[in-house]
Amino acid sequence: MEPAVNPMALLGASGQLAGRPLEEWNAAYGKVESYFHALRVRNKALLGQLVLRVLERAMRRAPDESNRSATQLAAEEMDHVVTEWFADVLQSPLTKADQTLSTRGRLALLLTDMPGKWQEQFLRPGPWPQEFTSAMRETFLRAGPDFQLSQMMPRPLDLGPITTLTNLGRFPYVRMALIWTLFALLLVGIFILTHQ
Amino acid sequence: MNTSGQSPSPQLHSLPRIARGWRLFVFYTSALALTGLVSMLFADLLWRTGWSASRTVLLALFVILFWFTAVGCMHGIYGFALRTFGTRQRITALKNFRGQNIDGISTAVVFPVCNEDVVRVYEGLRATFESVKKTGKLAGFDFFILSDSTDPDKWVEEERRWYDLVRELDALGKIYYRRRLVNEGRKSGNVRDFLNAWGRRYRYFMVCDADSVMRGETLVDLVKLMETHPTAGLIQTVPALINAETLFGRIQQFANRLYAPVFIAGLNYWALDLGNYWGHNAIIRTEPFMQFCDLPQLPGRKPFGGQILSHDFVEAALMLRENWEVWFAYDLEGSFEEAPQSLIENARRDRRWCQGNLQHSLVLFAKGLRGVSRLHLALGIFCYLTGPLWLAFLLTFNWIRWYQKYTGLSTITVHAFTPYLNLSGTAHALLIFIICMVVLMLPKFLSLIDLAHDSQRRHQFGGLARAISSVIGETIFSTLHAPLLMLWHTRFVVTNFLGMSTGWPSQKRADAGTKWLYALRRHWGHTLIGLVWGALMWQLDPTLFWWFTPVLAGMALSIPLSVLTSRMRPGIHARQMGLFLTPEETSPPPEIVSLRAQMKVHEITNDTTPRHRHAGLADAVLDPYINAIHVSLLREKRLNPVYAEQFTKLGVGSDETQQLAEKLLIEGPDKLTAPERLLVMADQRVMVWMHQQTWQRTGDSLAPWWRAAILEYSRQ
Repeated sequence: MEPAVNPMALLGASGQLAGRPLEEWNAAYGKVESYFHALRVRNKALLGQLVLRVLERAMRRAPDESNRSATQLAAEEMDHVVTEWFADVLQSPLTKADQTLSTRGRLALLLTDMPGKWQEQFLRPGPWPQEFTSAMRETFLRAGPDFQLSQMMPRPLDLGPITTLTNLGRFPYVRMALIWTLFALLLVGIFILTHQ
Repeated sequence: MNTSGQSPSPQLHSLPRIARGWRLFVFYTSALALTGLVSMLFADLLWRTGWSASRTVLLALFVILFWFTAVGCMHGIYGFALRTFGTRQRITALKNFRGQNIDGISTAVVFPVCNEDVVRVYEGLRATFESVKKTGKLAGFDFFILSDSTDPDKWVEEERRWYDLVRELDALGKIYYRRRLVNEGRKSGNVRDFLNAWGRRYRYFMVCDADSVMRGETLVDLVKLMETHPTAGLIQTVPALINAETLFGRIQQFANRLYAPVFIAGLNYWALDLGNYWGHNAIIRTEPFMQFCDLPQLPGRKPFGGQILSHDFVEAALMLRENWEVWFAYDLEGSFEEAPQSLIENARRDRRWCQGNLQHSLVLFAKGLRGVSRLHLALGIFCYLTGPLWLAFLLTFNWIRWYQKYTGLSTITVHAFTPYLNLSGTAHALLIFIICMVVLMLPKFLSLIDLAHDSQRRHQFGGLARAISSVIGETIFSTLHAPLLMLWHTRFVVTNFLGMSTGWPSQKRADAGTKWLYALRRHWGHTLIGLVWGALMWQLDPTLFWWFTPVLAGMALSIPLSVLTSRMRPGIHARQMGLFLTPEETSPPPEIVSLRAQMKVHEITNDTTPRHRHAGLADAVLDPYINAIHVSLLREKRLNPVYAEQFTKLGVGSDETQQLAEKLLIEGPDKLTAPERLLVMADQRVMVWMHQQTWQRTGDSLAPWWRAAILEYSRQ
């Protein structure tokens, strides 16, 4: 775990914190807090502590990266903190190419019911209770059983006279001829009905 | 099907072919004999007033329409007789199936859905799951939600609620969720996709509709029946309508519960093991279904050509073609579904069914089909053709009267070949009218007698007096409803023949009640026809006008009829008066109690309140857990090579998708089309990236829509 930074030590005479206006850190705080809130960390004391931990890391980077906002730094650190913790808990190597670690970690948190049962363990450095680590490492979401692939194939269906009729429809002008025939039949019908 | 072994065609039959043929002959000869006699009387009536070409047309229409009514009446008579005197020729009575061991038998219960009310679908599934659990046979059943939803919000809601359901029921690995990438073949394609992926794991599969609920014991019984009858390919239950609250819904529900047992018993008399499939609440033997029931494309253009819409009848016909049996388990209780709650919703459903059934005319003469299958198909087609035929009958009748009046020809009645009846022309006409009414009403009357015999059922319908009052109420309503169906069906048939495809929109199942303006838009034509027709009739012959009032009233009053019967208040009021009660209302089974209780909880907690537009997209991107579920489900799909290929075809993983995602972040979801949003949401890599980006970017590099969504999250 990184050495703690005293934020007060970073507070400059101009009222700036780690070289940034307080307002900027306030926005960064809001962003990080929102994300942990979205992770259903509902304990306010824990939530505040976790947010501060992320902000401390961001503040440490702030003097060297003056072109980046406090929110950007904090959000990046938040991602790092969470992903590193997932790597530790899941015993999975942390590589930049592995886009799935974060997803796997979040899914494991959900499946082990971190918000309900293990809130105090979230982002805490190890060792963690055996039950918690086993649950995190072994749970997985299955949307379906193992595939047993096959391929249904329609059997030929001889439609009989209908095939002839539908084929007839392909000839040019059949529709027109049909409409004319119907019209002629209509005239014949009217004639018969009116000449009784 | 590319399976290792071919399923042998069964040779066993519960009844010798000749006995079945005899039943068919007797049943349809009864209908034909009745039609013949009454048609003779009608022809005689026409003869008495002078024959003409228009009378020939009228007689031909009468014969067709009466035959169809007589077939319905025969179902009532035969069904009543079988229920009164009993029969062993039903699948539940042929063998003792209750003791059948079904341990180790795997059955999938599938719920194909497409943009449905997610809460209602899942609560139906929950009720079914819990009911199966109580039987102690849960190990033999897996449940699948097979989504074809194209609405991104529905998609994400389905995933979110699936996880909640699985967690609440501790059913991970028992209730599965799968959304198709390409909705080829609609519902039948959805089921086929399931079978291609997992079908071989299951000996049977039970198809449910989005609003189906099944009792656990019934599911277990169906599996036992299949095991006891190795030649049965499909067993169809008769679902009871439930949960109607509007007056229209409750009347339909009452009619279904009172008349269906008698009617289906009659249907089973001639169908036996050559029954039919109604698309849901049926158990199917997987292997023969996979082998023989994949549907071919029909030649020609839409609406007749192309994909078979009403797949169920054809699938049953294909099963029968290969000598597999199809049965109605009409005496198995515990199969439920819901129905439209208003006249307009009912007509909307009819519109789809009409297209599907008319399309069957292409299959009707297919080589190799069993004669009974052709009969099932023909009856389905006729259901919708009777509307235009009845209209043609009424118009021809009016024409004859008009011609007679305006040509100045007098009606000279002559004696015909029935002089020994000694009837005047008016009495003769009245006799035919009475016979027609008896034929129409007899099944209802017999259903009431059937009810009177059974004290438990009688009590469940609120007692005989209330049931009689309800039948009278239902008859009055159906008299007014019938002319509207006639006009609607005529329109549907004509538009279909003109080549106007109806598509397959999701059914609106919620009960919101029809608004007056909406009813006016839908029914102004009916009202106008009713009023103009009425005025012409009055001018033509005031006496005749009064005979036509039931038909004309249905049309003229269609707007208030449609609005008032779609409201819950009249439905509740009728219930308080003890009208249209059904067994599921008076003594609801545990599954329905559970379903209603859960729906009430959702209603109280406002869980079903529609959320803002693109809420599903916001959840899938911003919510760390929903994003994880969504991505995980996409990843799992890739294990199926068919889906992997479809992902590639769709453009998932391409640079274009990445660019769309960037546009989505910077400009907001409204700047993308619905298919573009779906494409982005189908790309697991992009969805992970978007989750990261939305939480890392500063406000000025995100669209205002995303900023508002994040703000909403922080306030939750």
